[in-house]
Amino acid sequence: MRNDASSSAAAIWAILRKECRSEWRTRYGISAALLFSITTLTSVSFAVGRLGDRGDILAALLWIVLLFASLAALSHSFVREVEGRTLTLLRLVASPTSIAIGKLLFNLLFLGVLELVTVPLFLVLMGAPPPHWGRFIALLGLGSAALAASSTLVGALIAQTRSRGSLFAAVSLPLLLPVLAAAVAGTRAQWSDGSIAAPVEMLAAYALAVMAMSLLLYDHLWED
Amino acid sequence: MSAGHAPAAAVERASRAATVEVRSLAHRYGSRLALEPQTFRLESGITAVTGANGSGKSTLLRIIAGLLRPSEGEVRVTVDGRDLEPGERRGSIGLATPELSFYEEMTAFENLEFAAEAHGLAAPARAAREALERVGLAQRADDRVGALSSGMRQRVRLAFASLGGPPLLLLDEPGSHLDDEGRATLERWIALVAPRTLVVLATNDEREWRLAERRIQLRGRDLGHPA
Repeated sequence: MRNDASSSAAAIWAILRKECRSEWRTRYGISAALLFSITTLTSVSFAVGRLGDRGDILAALLWIVLLFASLAALSHSFVREVEGRTLTLLRLVASPTSIAIGKLLFNLLFLGVLELVTVPLFLVLMGAPPPHWGRFIALLGLGSAALAASSTLVGALIAQTRSRGSLFAAVSLPLLLPVLAAAVAGTRAQWSDGSIAAPVEMLAAYALAVMAMSLLLYDHLWED
Repeated sequence: MSAGHAPAAAVERASRAATVEVRSLAHRYGSRLALEPQTFRLESGITAVTGANGSGKSTLLRIIAGLLRPSEGEVRVTVDGRDLEPGERRGSIGLATPELSFYEEMTAFENLEFAAEAHGLAAPARAAREALERVGLAQRADDRVGALSSGMRQRVRLAFASLGGPPLLLLDEPGSHLDDEGRATLERWIALVAPRTLVVLATNDEREWRLAERRIQLRGRDLGHPA
């Protein structure tokens, strides 16, 4: 056996690879996410045309599309383990913290792939290239980190409960609303040449706080 | 089938000595008593845990494996004299239980390679191949688990339990779904590892509990007693 640190790193890497392999084989999440984002953006584009001068609507639309396209897949990464009865296997080979970090990294990767398709399509269809690419990408990155951290935590919290459906909404709302609010505010500000410092700080602090809280919680989440 | 040629790495790791000490251990699911108070100590060899359905055999194994926190009492698992906390036991325990499922979209080999890699074994691919050979499943290593029969899935569970040669093996109904050849393989494997591994079998099958040197009989309150 390796020492604890390298053993945890190996477990995290193994879980990340396993998640990618499973997603590649089943296309469980990415197909639905891309279908949602592409149809939504195309529909809005047909209905209202270009929105290049409406930074407020652009910001809200971008984050609503990203949130709803990704939420089901991100928060169900643990539920799939419970429904497929593979959580016992995971618990026998890795610590809860390693499992959660592996899932979080996969969720970040998932969001990255989704954004690679969705964001260029959004910018083209809406006719709204960001005035400052650096700021836009920073907001996208931090917003994605906060979204992935929050939805991973929601998924872990609801996975072993009986009434997952109702709990999902109840737990998601308070955890995801601050992310959405800060991301929309920041994205709107960058389109109107305003300051994005406060939303960026908020998103970074929130992502770090949720990740830290998750690391403290995960070891106790799956104790029967 | 390779019961006769266990890998060197497995033999080396299994040479670590494990003990299990159970003191006044009981467990409840809600108000129902699932496991009546138990006290025993296991130091070596093969032990069979028998008892009627619902008497707590699987619950006992889950508690020893560190997957379930007991309602009362305590379990101490030591390896080479060192106490292992429940969260530390996964590196020293091989568990095969009917509730253990694998990723159906992945092959038997990929599942075991993933498990070996996450376990931190030095050569995961080799460990996975050897484990599949050990249970006679090398020919079907590249079949997706979803395409395997229930007997073959049971062999994958046994292969998983054997990964890396853990010093403590917890086998819950290990012969279920196995054909005659599979049972013979299982018996040869248990006989091979028993001299240097603490083996606990939860079973009501006489062919399995007769392999054991000692027997712990659990008595469930709700469903009567075993014959």
